[in-house]
Amino acid sequence: MKKNILNHSWHLFVLTALAGVMLLWAACKKDDPAPDNGEQDLTHIPYAPQAYTVVKPDHFPQVPIPADNPLTVDGVQLGRRLFYDPILSADSTQSCSSCHLPQGSFTDNMATSVGIDGIFGRRSAMSLLNVAYATNGLFWDGRSPTLEDQALRPVEDPIEMHNTWPNVIAKLKAHPTYPELFRKAFGIRNTSEITSELAAKSIAQFERILISSGTSRFDLYLQGDTDALDDDELDGKLMFFDEGAVVGLPDAQCFHCHGGLTLTGNQYFNNGLDSVAALEDFPDRGRGEVTGNPYDNGKFRSPTLRNIALSGPYMHDGRFATLDEVLEHYSGNGKGVINEDPFIRQIGFPVPGTNPVQYSGLTPSQKQALVKFLHTLTDTTFINNPDIQNPF
Amino acid sequence: MKNVFLFSLLVGLFLFAGCDGSEDIVQPPGTTFTVTFKALYDGQPLEKYKNYDYDTYQVQFSRFNTFMSNIALLDGATTMPLSAIEWVDFTPDTAPDNFAVEVPVTFSAVPEGTYTGIRLGYGVPPALNAKQPKDFATDHPLSRENEYWLGWQSYIFNKIEGQVDLDKNGVFDGGLVYHCGSDAVFRTYDFTLPIKVEPGSGITVEFDLKDLFVISGSWLDLNDPYNHITSNDVNDVVIATILMDNFDAATAVKQ
Repeated sequence: MKKNILNHSWHLFVLTALAGVMLLWAACKKDDPAPDNGEQDLTHIPYAPQAYTVVKPDHFPQVPIPADNPLTVDGVQLGRRLFYDPILSADSTQSCSSCHLPQGSFTDNMATSVGIDGIFGRRSAMSLLNVAYATNGLFWDGRSPTLEDQALRPVEDPIEMHNTWPNVIAKLKAHPTYPELFRKAFGIRNTSEITSELAAKSIAQFERILISSGTSRFDLYLQGDTDALDDDELDGKLMFFDEGAVVGLPDAQCFHCHGGLTLTGNQYFNNGLDSVAALEDFPDRGRGEVTGNPYDNGKFRSPTLRNIALSGPYMHDGRFATLDEVLEHYSGNGKGVINEDPFIRQIGFPVPGTNPVQYSGLTPSQKQALVKFLHTLTDTTFINNPDIQNPF
Repeated sequence: MKNVFLFSLLVGLFLFAGCDGSEDIVQPPGTTFTVTFKALYDGQPLEKYKNYDYDTYQVQFSRFNTFMSNIALLDGATTMPLSAIEWVDFTPDTAPDNFAVEVPVTFSAVPEGTYTGIRLGYGVPPALNAKQPKDFATDHPLSRENEYWLGWQSYIFNKIEGQVDLDKNGVFDGGLVYHCGSDAVFRTYDFTLPIKVEPGSGITVEFDLKDLFVISGSWLDLNDPYNHITSNDVNDVVIATILMDNFDAATAVKQ
């Protein structure tokens, strides 16, 4: 009897320990979703990820790449296909590229963009040039913290693609090509593992390769070719970067909001567009819609000025058709709204005897010089880069 | 029977504890030490767009950020370096409200003991200022493109922006923009006080903008338009020098 009890105890110990080990093995194991019935096994397709090396000009800053979404050759290629594929929209008529076309420096050259139902949004499509450097929020109001998050949103926006991600994922799973591409990009083992998050990651990977070529005339000038800019363009550059005082030119204060080599500070400014009696009166509250802070109303993310001559019309609502109109606006020194950026009021020379000090704005020739300088930022090598064109 | 069950449970727990993949970490000598930077006006936490008395008129502030460098604890004639460069942004776009955020910077492996003071560099020291954002990894403070002035080939050491109501009509219609930069205005100041470094300890470094704009007992005169901005040719260096020279008077270090 005692022996039986001992035997029983020993068996119980072995079984309990075994169960514990099994339980722990399961707990230690990486997530390993079981294949759904009817889903397609993909393990026969090789998964051999190769790192994608982003090509950037030597004088450009390093490209921020998030640790949880490293670029791979297959990841970028999948993202490129998804970016150009209307499969993302409810009626399969619109893709990301419908509003972000290479020839417009990844804008649609519309004042505001139109969705699949023919409804116009309230804001202009932002250029995606150098968007990898936008690490302080995406969209005009910064509501998306990352490209991965941003890429998710247009699909379900009712005035953009007006779709749902479950619909998109169902189509991608049943597609003759995409399951293999997802396998190669992310190593998934079954079509059941295709998710909106992976789709967004791949689109973000593609968007991160949309980097300037470094061959604009401005870039050539920066790299030592002093003949790359003519006299007017050079005057424009001096005013743009507040370097003109030594030759009698005023400060245009541009670079404070469009600074660095990417010519965007990726910060939020009220650039003096609207005259409102109170901060609540802005027709589009912009950043304030995200933060809830009324002092952020009327502020928008400063876009890159690279390829600006190709990406009009201008401002968040496309209100200015030409760069001439843009310069005319800035030369007016704002509307006096309390949260305007202080630089908006300091364009030109201080006018003697004014208190508070007024600024002169810019003369017609100075505005023209600035417009000519802005044209030197055009980068046709970028927009014609075969690696970023429509693969279909 | 009960003992057997408990033993097997212990075996399971032991295995569970061992499966998280972590390695034994060898703790370096010393402890953590936190320097918390704060922005004030007249002794109170700085608040964006708040009306502040300034001389006989009023001002508001909308932005304040700065590079701090060569941070080192002092121990008599010797120094204990803490950091080559830090980015201190009191008014980030992500701030939850208009109050300036406090910016804590924690240093690890700081030898415990009592020090005699702290050294602070205001701006970017020349050796680092000779570089550009492209020279730094994307998570480095000096990779920040919008804090670099291509025209000056210099980082913008600090930015203080706001507006002034000179004619006291309630309309803040005069812009204030102080962006200091260039090697000529880099400053280093030592602050003498006993600083005890022990586990969990730290100090606060407070910048009071009111004190910054009172130079040798007199306000920087904002009736002079050239005192509104640091980016007007030769006046750039003049105003920037005045402010950078006065930053020690505007700084209070406390433990």
